[in-house]
Amino acid sequence: MSSKTHNANSILLARRTVLQLRTEASRERMKVSKASADLMNYCTEHAMADPLLVGFPTSDNPFKDKKPCTIL
Amino acid sequence: MAAEKAEMDALKKECDGLRAQIEAARKAVNDGSMSASAGGVEAVGRVQLKLRKNLKGHLAKIYAMHWSADSRQMVSASQDGKLLIWDTFTGNKLTAVPLKSAWVMSVAFAPSGNLVASGGLDNICTVYNIKAASPKTLRELDAHTGYLSCSRFLSDSEIITASGDTTCCLWDLETGKQKVVFTNHIGDCMSLALSPDENSFISGACDSLAKLWDIRSGTCKQTFSGHTSDINAIAFFPSGNAIITGSDDCSCKMYDLRADQEVIGYQDTSLNAGVTSVALSNSGRLIFAGYDDFNCHIWDSLKGEKVGVLSGHDNRVSCTGVPADGMGVCTGSWDSFLKLWN
Repeated sequence: MSSKTHNANSILLARRTVLQLRTEASRERMKVSKASADLMNYCTEHAMADPLLVGFPTSDNPFKDKKPCTIL
Repeated sequence: MAAEKAEMDALKKECDGLRAQIEAARKAVNDGSMSASAGGVEAVGRVQLKLRKNLKGHLAKIYAMHWSADSRQMVSASQDGKLLIWDTFTGNKLTAVPLKSAWVMSVAFAPSGNLVASGGLDNICTVYNIKAASPKTLRELDAHTGYLSCSRFLSDSEIITASGDTTCCLWDLETGKQKVVFTNHIGDCMSLALSPDENSFISGACDSLAKLWDIRSGTCKQTFSGHTSDINAIAFFPSGNAIITGSDDCSCKMYDLRADQEVIGYQDTSLNAGVTSVALSNSGRLIFAGYDDFNCHIWDSLKGEKVGVLSGHDNRVSCTGVPADGMGVCTGSWDSFLKLWN
């Protein structure tokens, strides 16, 4: 690649990076304390609907083996 | 030449300025950590899940698995050159899909249950109709110039792929053509996950960054940094407001999308193995992370503490998944077995 093309590519990349950073810089940001509280509330509100967290009756276990094992 | 140099210097100066601005804005809202906020939350205690099924069938390393939306079927991919579709309730194999290329790295189940997709070092995402009498190739999506690391169906007519060529792509399955190319990563894309509302997706790459993309416009909305090595795994927190990443730097991180920054990290000095895969329980409270140390470690997502481990594999855990009904966890390994736990 000639140094001219290389320079042209570098400039295009730099321009794209600037546009991308402008997009990212312009967004509103929520306070971490509020964001954390929201995530915590979500976990608490949905805890009872989380089988791996709160457990469930053995009879409801879809993966449990239903027949006895035989050693062949 | 002088004009070009002047422009480059101006652009570089603007980049540096914008980066500093972003860091300052993040710092300004960083008024407390998640682990501090979670001080008042009850601990989950020790999470002890039992091995319920050991699925034998593959003859080589398993690289990927994906649950069907019905929470019963599951597809796994192995470098023995096969995809296997399992009925996890019985442990039976329902279908075997022979692959043209054995070097598979990714597999996905369409929400309808009609299609599966796979791809790997062949750079191609192949979509199969598994409802036909015998699995039939529906499409070969061939445009990536690097390996296919991950794919996820939006529907039977659209799929998103992540590639070692550093791009992600939205494909139209009716035409087999690319609809949108997502370009911004500077390292191999390793993993992707769809947002719960399916308007966006996140990608993790070897440039140690995670990015949030708008599916329709193709724009990168946010970039998350902090990892010091490749991000191998990525998942959405169920509310859609946070993401979890797993990396070769042996840690996982949670980034909040609205605060635009990391809110908590999951690492332990005793854990010196890279993270290969991550999956969350339905409330988002538990993170199941597969590691190179042959285990899947369980983290309390709010407190950042290790609360359990799934041990039993004889080689690296390469993939992890929780079905939609949240009734269990599946781990797949280089030891050629898949294990179901709950």
